[in-house]
Amino acid sequence: MLSLAVHKLEIRYPGLPAPALDIPALFIEPGTHIALTGPSGAGKTTFINIAVGMERVRSGKVEWDGENLAAMSEGRRDRWRARNVGLVMQDFHLFPGLSALGNVLLPQRLSRFRLPGDMRSRALDMLARVGIDRANQLVETMSRGQMQRVAVARALVGRPGVIIADEPTASLDAGSGEAVANLLLDLARETKATLIVATHDARLTGRLDRILQLENGWVSG
Amino acid sequence: MFHFILADLVRNRIGVVVLIILVALATALGVTVTLQERALRLGSARAAAPFDLVIGAPGSETQLVLSSVFLQPAPLPLVSPEVLAGLRADPRVEAAVPVGFGDFVESNPIIGTTADAVAMFGGLTEGTAFDHLGDAVAGAEVKRAVGSTFRPFHGNAGDVGEVHAEVQYRIVGRLARTGTPWDRAILVPIQAVWDTHAAHHHDADEAAAHQHGHEDDFATRPVDNAVLDGDANPGVPAIVIKPKSISDAYNLRQQYRGDTTLAVFPGEVLTRLYGTLGDARRVLSLVATGAQALVAAAILMVIATHVLQRRRQIGALRAFGAPRAVVLSIVWLETFALLAVGLLTGFAIGYGATHALSQRLGEASGVAMPVELNVSDAWMLAAFLIAAALVTFLPALIAYRQTPAQALRS
Repeated sequence: MLSLAVHKLEIRYPGLPAPALDIPALFIEPGTHIALTGPSGAGKTTFINIAVGMERVRSGKVEWDGENLAAMSEGRRDRWRARNVGLVMQDFHLFPGLSALGNVLLPQRLSRFRLPGDMRSRALDMLARVGIDRANQLVETMSRGQMQRVAVARALVGRPGVIIADEPTASLDAGSGEAVANLLLDLARETKATLIVATHDARLTGRLDRILQLENGWVSG
Repeated sequence: MFHFILADLVRNRIGVVVLIILVALATALGVTVTLQERALRLGSARAAAPFDLVIGAPGSETQLVLSSVFLQPAPLPLVSPEVLAGLRADPRVEAAVPVGFGDFVESNPIIGTTADAVAMFGGLTEGTAFDHLGDAVAGAEVKRAVGSTFRPFHGNAGDVGEVHAEVQYRIVGRLARTGTPWDRAILVPIQAVWDTHAAHHHDADEAAAHQHGHEDDFATRPVDNAVLDGDANPGVPAIVIKPKSISDAYNLRQQYRGDTTLAVFPGEVLTRLYGTLGDARRVLSLVATGAQALVAAAILMVIATHVLQRRRQIGALRAFGAPRAVVLSIVWLETFALLAVGLLTGFAIGYGATHALSQRLGEASGVAMPVELNVSDAWMLAAFLIAAALVTFLPALIAYRQTPAQALRS
């Protein structure tokens, strides 16, 4: 679990008069579960991209447990993200042609020379934990709810300190959505990870510790 | 990493196979042009090797070589008898054998010559050389057994000719393989050819009377070489000379290059011929290279499109923690593997195609066509592979420059 401290963060895009994101100060306690809400275009995606180091910060600081992403090179940010962040996205971003297990292991395989010895059994455990029995089933043959559960397993198998989920339930039916939401909350609690969920889902926001409301790049709440 | 590449290739297997086939065929085209040209050049050069010097009547040097070395039928003017007699007596000459053509049996040309030709072409593998007018020596590839008999046809191979009904030869020996079109020829005494054709020009009545004489003594009449040393013969279209030394060869060529005779080194004539053919080869290579360039451009387009279509996927890879270098390697390895497999397959197809082509050409012409790979081919393959490695770096760079945020934004 990591804490996040944002200081004088300002993101501007060329041609736009107002900054896309303007956060003078924000602190997130380690292990808290945060809901990130706000209308589309309010800066939720920009905030997530900044928070996981996928976008460069030119002014201000974004510190996870004292490590400032703004001061890191792109390569270092990639390595930091691989080590610390579990990502779950609205569109799953699973890779067709690979099995559920293959997808869960893919980021681990690509970010290091060889898999740690217990990684395979951890992946199988994690798949069982999210309710996927057939680890060798190709992902493109799964239902959307199953796909998102595979994505959750992929995000968590590396035991990240931070779990970031961008609209994880938006493309699922109510039943699957609730199952995925339960999994995310339970697993975040079990691993004591800091959880940030960008969502419109009122049933989900209600179960989180704190709500960050984004409005035109400003944070309230 | 390899899991991922393999999964992607398997998922797009139809496109992958089509691409590999395209690359392979374009490569095979270039390889075949190169190897086939080399096989033709080496094959004909080796075919001409046993023929040091050829003397004929004034006319086309090329035709003289084509007729005497490659046994291509053509009506050549005859050299007067004194020339052959003079050469046979010349101390600079180790052997001078006349070459008379015009008759065939099926697809085998019948060559009138002397028994000296047998030694000149490397001797016999079975039987004996000819002693009688009716004796014949078969080339290594003639599909007739020693001891069998045949009647010659007048005219071109394959044409409906006129059978010399009154003449019958018996095969008494077989020549060692020479790798030249002479492997398909049947050698008979030149005196027999003269005899046959002399009879041919007589009146029908006279020929009928003559025929009995032939039948009686053709097989038993010994070959009389004295007739070659005088001027009481019709002459021959070409004489193949084996000189005693290189300087003798040059002297002889000098002496017999004049108003009444033509003297050529077949190797030299062939070299000149290749000079002309070289341009044709260059045109062919240009066409092949052009085709390869077009295919390369098309393939590059396809790959670039594919990589662009995978932007989201590739961006997502980085979002999930794959380092940039790994993403670069994935795209590069995947595209390079595809091209490399195509290139290697193309080399194999080209080599096989050249073999098949050379086999057929060799059977048709009698010239053995050696299909040989040498160091320059290895360099060509290496150059192709390096070019493929460089070219496939381009789509990999596209992937490298993509930010992971793009994948999440879309």
